[in-house]
Amino acid sequence: MKEEKLLKEPFLVVFKRWMMSAGGITITLAVVAAIIATIDSGPFIIVNTVVTGGMWALLSLGLSLVFGVMNIPNFAHGEFFLIGSMTAYFVFNPMRLYLNDNPSAFLSAIAPFLGIFLAFLVGALMGIIMEKLIFSPLRKRSRDQWVMNSFLLTVGISVVIINNIQLIWGANFKGIPSYWNVDPLEFLGVRLSVDRLAALLLSVITLAIFWYFMRRTQTGRAVRAVAQDETGALLVGINLNKILSLTMALSAGLAAMAGASLLFMFPAYPTAGLKPLYVAWYVVILVGLGNVSAAVIGGFIVALLQTLTSYYIGTGWEDVIPTAVIIIMLIFKPSGLFGSVVKGVHEQ
Amino acid sequence: MLEIKNINAGYGYLQVLWDVSFKISKGEFIALVGPNGAGKSTTLKTIAGLIKPKSGDIIFDGKNITGTPANLTNRMGISFVSESLNLFTNMSIYENLLLGAFIIEDKQKQLENIDFVFDLFPRLKARRNQLAGTLSGGERKMLAIARGIMSNPSLLMVDEPSLGLAPRLTLDVFDALEVLRQSGMTILLVEQNVNTTLHITDRGYVLEQGQVILEGPSRELLENDHVKKAFLGI
Amino acid sequence: MKDNAYTGTTNKISISDQITAALGSLGITPIGLLLIIVLLILPFIPPFNQEHILRWLVSAALLAAQAIAFDFTTGYINVVNFGFAAFLGLGAYTSGLLAVNLGLSPWIGIFVGAIPAALVGLLTGLLTLKLRGIFAAVMAWFIGLAMLGLTRNLVDITRGPMGLSTPTLLDTSSNRPYFYIIVAMMLFTYIVLRKVIHSRYGLAFRAIGQNMDAARASGINPTYYRVFNFTLQCLIAGWLGGFYAHYFGILTPQIMLTSRTVEVLAIAYIGGRGSLWGGAVIAFPFIFLIEGLRSNLTALPGLHLVIYGLLLVLVMIFYPGGFAEFYNKASNWVKTAMRK
Repeated sequence: MKEEKLLKEPFLVVFKRWMMSAGGITITLAVVAAIIATIDSGPFIIVNTVVTGGMWALLSLGLSLVFGVMNIPNFAHGEFFLIGSMTAYFVFNPMRLYLNDNPSAFLSAIAPFLGIFLAFLVGALMGIIMEKLIFSPLRKRSRDQWVMNSFLLTVGISVVIINNIQLIWGANFKGIPSYWNVDPLEFLGVRLSVDRLAALLLSVITLAIFWYFMRRTQTGRAVRAVAQDETGALLVGINLNKILSLTMALSAGLAAMAGASLLFMFPAYPTAGLKPLYVAWYVVILVGLGNVSAAVIGGFIVALLQTLTSYYIGTGWEDVIPTAVIIIMLIFKPSGLFGSVVKGVHEQ
Repeated sequence: MLEIKNINAGYGYLQVLWDVSFKISKGEFIALVGPNGAGKSTTLKTIAGLIKPKSGDIIFDGKNITGTPANLTNRMGISFVSESLNLFTNMSIYENLLLGAFIIEDKQKQLENIDFVFDLFPRLKARRNQLAGTLSGGERKMLAIARGIMSNPSLLMVDEPSLGLAPRLTLDVFDALEVLRQSGMTILLVEQNVNTTLHITDRGYVLEQGQVILEGPSRELLENDHVKKAFLGI
Repeated sequence: MKDNAYTGTTNKISISDQITAALGSLGITPIGLLLIIVLLILPFIPPFNQEHILRWLVSAALLAAQAIAFDFTTGYINVVNFGFAAFLGLGAYTSGLLAVNLGLSPWIGIFVGAIPAALVGLLTGLLTLKLRGIFAAVMAWFIGLAMLGLTRNLVDITRGPMGLSTPTLLDTSSNRPYFYIIVAMMLFTYIVLRKVIHSRYGLAFRAIGQNMDAARASGINPTYYRVFNFTLQCLIAGWLGGFYAHYFGILTPQIMLTSRTVEVLAIAYIGGRGSLWGGAVIAFPFIFLIEGLRSNLTALPGLHLVIYGLLLVLVMIFYPGGFAEFYNKASNWVKTAMRK
């Protein structure tokens, strides 16, 4: 009934209501702030925001998805980002060195994508291993206090992954100067490196594919079905185990892909996953637990917030300002700016 | 088609069903009636595979399916419309129906089935893009039944379709079940509304305290003294 | 001890029974008393009387006390304070800065430092504990990271990563007196928290931890008790932080790292959730194992954290009761075997 009415209402009324909602206010404010900052300090603000924002979106939607579908608050999510950047480094760096001696235009164009794609695969594989090896046994044993138990498990996993990486590959930074050894593009007076442009395009394309998968395919619908009603999903013949593994694989793969795509900005080292983990959790709490589409918007908003604080207030306060913002948000709207999809933010 | 042999089942330490046995032949419309807490829902959940029985056998189409998980019983042709409906509340009616046909790969067949259930429940067709969570109680029941038949089941089990519905809507739902039965579907109906149920079904079983205490053609059950006293208030 | 009661040959209550009863009311079993006595004489027995091993013992007792406080919250109301180390650090820095800038005696500073930790804990609790448990964990973590960021960047006040030199509690280079201080603090923590657990409050905690709805239905206000519990935990964390500041004599922002919280969390869980004492008992052998590994395998930094993480995962999946459950089962088995 509600929806029908909504459709018949004039566009202005709907628009007005949206503008008055927390989500609408935030988006408007963010856009205004971005424009003012761009006029004030230059277009790099917008460029930085959009490039990192796209990747934060990939990262956060995976975290949100796993919480929504599997009810796991994943504290090892940053490690998927790290595994992605490690994989990309180990795949791409030898190729880069080889190409320095044996230039080949075709290979130079392909190599970055190869690194990023392999990172996605390795991340997805890690996700499946984690589900099969750790969550599945726990699920079979007991689902009491599932959220807290799985939270602690992911903390343990994160510690193991970080320190194993340190033991095997050492604590040094593994980075690359750039993926594409090409001059930056000039566009309306804005200089934009090809790496950044590629990262942006990659995130937009991936988000579009992901959206199509979730909305328009039966498998994607099945993932959403499991999040909304597990028994219902079983009753229509959905194989729960398959969907849970797929969810974990997608979430981990997308995080790994973000890590790989941003390797030229964030080099890989054992604790490199901490920052992305923080960002992803920040986004998810800010927009609403389990709300996957809002996590995408949230990725961009948080990227803007970070760019603005580090430029106008100075690095170091990056950790403090966002925390203050989220405290204010929790006081007024604990279910997040766009509303939580998970049943009951308040303790049941 | 379906044979239940000496099923004992329950939740954890609480046993609900004690040696329940019954039989359903192809094309029959069977009622399972009884007071609250008699174990009717538990029986259906056990057949559907949501609960593993402690002992006993469930034979479906000649195969022993005891303990088969719910997603596989659905593939074998058993569809269960639970009392809580288990709809996907943040999806549209149309998406719920598509998921009902999850085990059917053929896109064309899915669309045919959707046309069929839209004919059966025109109300759903009018609201096809509305979210399931925003539907009224009656519409939800219809959607749950519609989703249940989207997979072309050979056996449809419906738990308490009339619960909380206005009488007119209840009749709509029963009419729909009648249509399905005429199309050759085997139906197992659990109801508290004993009078109406026994008027439309072929045969019935009466469950009390986890045991089958009476069985027979529905007409005869309507005349039975115990049924009259306990359920019909005569 | 039970055998005395069974045989009942005397009407007089023996002195040993009286002691047992008195200790029991403090939550100390005869075996526990034995362990405490061993712990107290340990600093005089070789090789434990060497200074570097005494340092391990102090670290172990400090970790044990933290594990007790941590379990008080996770084990009873199912809330993980993921910023625990930062609360400890807040207490440490408060006490340290007061001593450095105002010349406040560390002996007083330790107690003063607990107050801001408790206040920040109270505010965090008020903000998040009416919501699902995961909000408290994430927000405590955020607030912890913000505090870490502040200590790193307010170099004028905290001297940041260069480290803040703080006066020590005692004018001695021996670790032995410190060991007795921290053991006393650990026992005090245990006894106080156990008293709370066995009071009306403890009943409420357990009811909330097991079933929030049922607790609310029986008239318990979950938010009140959860905030109380959380604040008390932060108070103790801040107090223990004061000891840290005036034992090591130098404070760096490292004290607030999340990996420190993970260490405490792992110890509390491997020890056994909801037992209070499990983590404390486990902390001692663990510190020795890990310090031993660390001094022998300097080439492998972080190995001890791998062990923490792996054990945490294994315990969570296969033996969620931890060491405490293992001990309880074993002692029951011994009791029944002896009765036969």
